[in-house]
Amino acid sequence: MSLILLKNIYKIYNVGGEEVRALDGVDLEIKNNEYLAIMGPSGSGKSTLMNMIGCLDTPTSGIYEFEGEMVQVMDDAQLASIRNRKIGFVFQTFNLLPKATAHHNVEIPLVYANINRADRLDLASEALSNVGLSDRMHHKPNELSGGQRQRVAIARALVNSPSIILADEPTGNLDSKSGHEIMGIFDGLHKNGNTIILVTHEDGIAKHANRTIKLLDGKIIEDNEQYD
Amino acid sequence: MKFSLFLENFRISLSAVLANKTRSILTALGIIIGVLSVTLMGTLISGLDRSFESSMSWLGKDILYISRYEWFSDMEWWEIKNRPRILPEYVEKIKERTDYALAVAPVMQRGAALSYEDKKTRTEIFGTNEDYMETISTDIIEGRFFTNNEDRSGARVTVIGHGIKDAFFGESDPIGEYLKIDNIKFRVIGVLEKQGKFLGLFSVDKQAILPFGAYKRLFSRRGWMRLSVKVPEDKLEEGMDEISAVMRHIRGLKPSEKNDFAINQTKAFEKQYNGLKVAIGGTGIFITLLSLIVGGIGIMNIMFVSVKERTREIGIRKAIGATKGMIMGQFLMEAVTICLIAGLIGLFFAYISSIFINKIFPSTLPIGLSISAVIMSMVVGVVSGLIPSYRAANLDPIDALRYE
Repeated sequence: MSLILLKNIYKIYNVGGEEVRALDGVDLEIKNNEYLAIMGPSGSGKSTLMNMIGCLDTPTSGIYEFEGEMVQVMDDAQLASIRNRKIGFVFQTFNLLPKATAHHNVEIPLVYANINRADRLDLASEALSNVGLSDRMHHKPNELSGGQRQRVAIARALVNSPSIILADEPTGNLDSKSGHEIMGIFDGLHKNGNTIILVTHEDGIAKHANRTIKLLDGKIIEDNEQYD
Repeated sequence: MKFSLFLENFRISLSAVLANKTRSILTALGIIIGVLSVTLMGTLISGLDRSFESSMSWLGKDILYISRYEWFSDMEWWEIKNRPRILPEYVEKIKERTDYALAVAPVMQRGAALSYEDKKTRTEIFGTNEDYMETISTDIIEGRFFTNNEDRSGARVTVIGHGIKDAFFGESDPIGEYLKIDNIKFRVIGVLEKQGKFLGLFSVDKQAILPFGAYKRLFSRRGWMRLSVKVPEDKLEEGMDEISAVMRHIRGLKPSEKNDFAINQTKAFEKQYNGLKVAIGGTGIFITLLSLIVGGIGIMNIMFVSVKERTREIGIRKAIGATKGMIMGQFLMEAVTICLIAGLIGLFFAYISSIFINKIFPSTLPIGLSISAVIMSMVVGVVSGLIPSYRAANLDPIDALRYE
C-alpha cells in the first residue's frame, strides 16, 4: 500500500480575478521509506505540493489518500492529529518559537499529543541528544547558530516519531558546512526507515534523494528514481 | 480540555503577559478599577451595615419615640412648626391608658460642661426617669441606676457613660465621687457599659444621665422633650396604634384632624438607610459595569494585537499539530489570565484600602463579593477574548507561516 497517493490534484487560486493553477493535475505516489526530492523553479508549485502532502493545505479538486485514508473528508482535529503524529515539518526559516528554549520548542508537539509532562521532558531531551544538541537544550533560538536551530527544528519534527519528514528547503538558510550536517541527519533518518520528502532547488541537495520529481507550472514534468 | 494542555496554555499566557507587562497592566486597568470599585462598595456597605446594626440595637427595635417631629419627614415645615410640645405629664397618662406600654421614659437632653477636680469636658446630659434603662439596650456595669424616689425628690445623682468614667476617673472607682455639671455638684451612682459611636457620628459613651426631677429644676423647665415607650417586640404595630390613639385623646384631636405629634421607630431609620444603601450600591454597580465594559473592550483590543503579533507562532503551532480548539484555548486563556491578574490586583488594592477604611470606620472586605468580583473579571476575559481567539483559531496555517 502506498503511503501517500495523490490523484489528479488541482489547486487553483483566484488572484485578482485571474485563475492561478498552483497545482495542475498532479498524480504522485510515495511509498514507505522513499527519499524524495521535489524540485522546480520558484512558482512551480513545489511548496503548494509540499503543504498539500503535509495536510496544511487542501486541494481544490482531486483525491489525496494518506495511508489509505481520504484526507479531504477529514476534519480539523484529524488533520491536526496527522500533522502531529505522522508528519514532521522542517522549514527553511526554522520556525522555532523565539521565546521558548530549544527544549521547550521540541516539547510542544508532545503537549498537543497529550503526553504527560515527565515523558515529554524525557522524549524532548532524547530527541535533542539525537541531533547532537544535548548541551544546548536550554538555549533560546537566538542563542543558537543557524545549523543548531535547524537541528532543533529536526528534533521537534522527530519527537513524536513520525514516519514522514517533510523538509522545505532545509539548507536554504545555512552555510554549506551546516547544510552538509543537516543532510547527513536526513540520510541517517532514511536509513532508519523514515520517509523523507525534500523540497529544494539545489541539485547537490537533491542528489541525496533516491527519487527526484521536477515541477513546472504546477505539473510534474519529470519523475526519476536513482538507485545508488 | 486536557490538563497538560491547560497547564501549557496557562504557561504561555503567563509568559505572554509578563513579556508585555506595561501593556498588560494598562489594558487591565479597566478591570482593576471595576474590581476595586465593586469590592470597595461592598466594604463600605458592610461597614455601614455593621454600624447601623449596632446603632439600631442601641435605639432598640421595640422602642417607640414620641416626639414633636418625625425623624424623616417629607412634610413642609409650616405644617409642623406649630405642633404643641410633648409634656412630662403625658408619661403618667400613657401609662394609665395603655396595655402595651411596658415602660415610658421622658427624655430631655442638652449639652453641658462636666468637670471633676481639674478635668473638664463637654457632654450631653439626659434627664429621665427610672424607666429609662428599659428603653435602652445599654447595661449598668458599675453601681446602680437611680430610683423613683431619687427622681421625685430631685436628688443630685448621675449615671455616667463609660467615656466620662475613662476621662475623669481612669481605673479608679467613680461610685460615690462628686462631679460638677454646669458647676452643680452631682454624685456618681452608676456607670454605663461601653457602646461606641451612633451611626459613626457621635459617641454615646460621653453622656450623663440625671433624674428627671433634678434635670428639670436645674437645667430646663421648658426644654425639648421626647418620650421613649417600650412595647412588646411582637406587638409593635398594635402598640403604635394604641399609643397613637392615647396621644390623640390627650391632645383632644377630632377624627378629621391630623396627628400633631410623631411616633418614631427604628424602622424609619431602616427605610432611610436602605435607600442610602441602594444609592451606594447602584452607583458602585454602575461604575463597576462601566469600567468592566471599558476594560473588556481594552482586553479585546489587546488580544487582537496579540493574535496579529503571533500569527507566525499560530502557523507553527498548527503545523506541529495544534487543532483549532487548542489555539482558541490558548488565546482565551491569555485573555482570562490578564483579567484574572487584573482582578487580583484590584482585590489587592481593595484589601489595602479596606485596612485604611477600617481604621476610620469599622468594616470588612466581603469575601463572597471579592470572589465573585474575580470570577466576574474572568468572565469578562472569556467574553472579550472570544472573537480574537476565534480569529486566531481559524487562521489559515500556510498564510500564518508566511506572515512576517
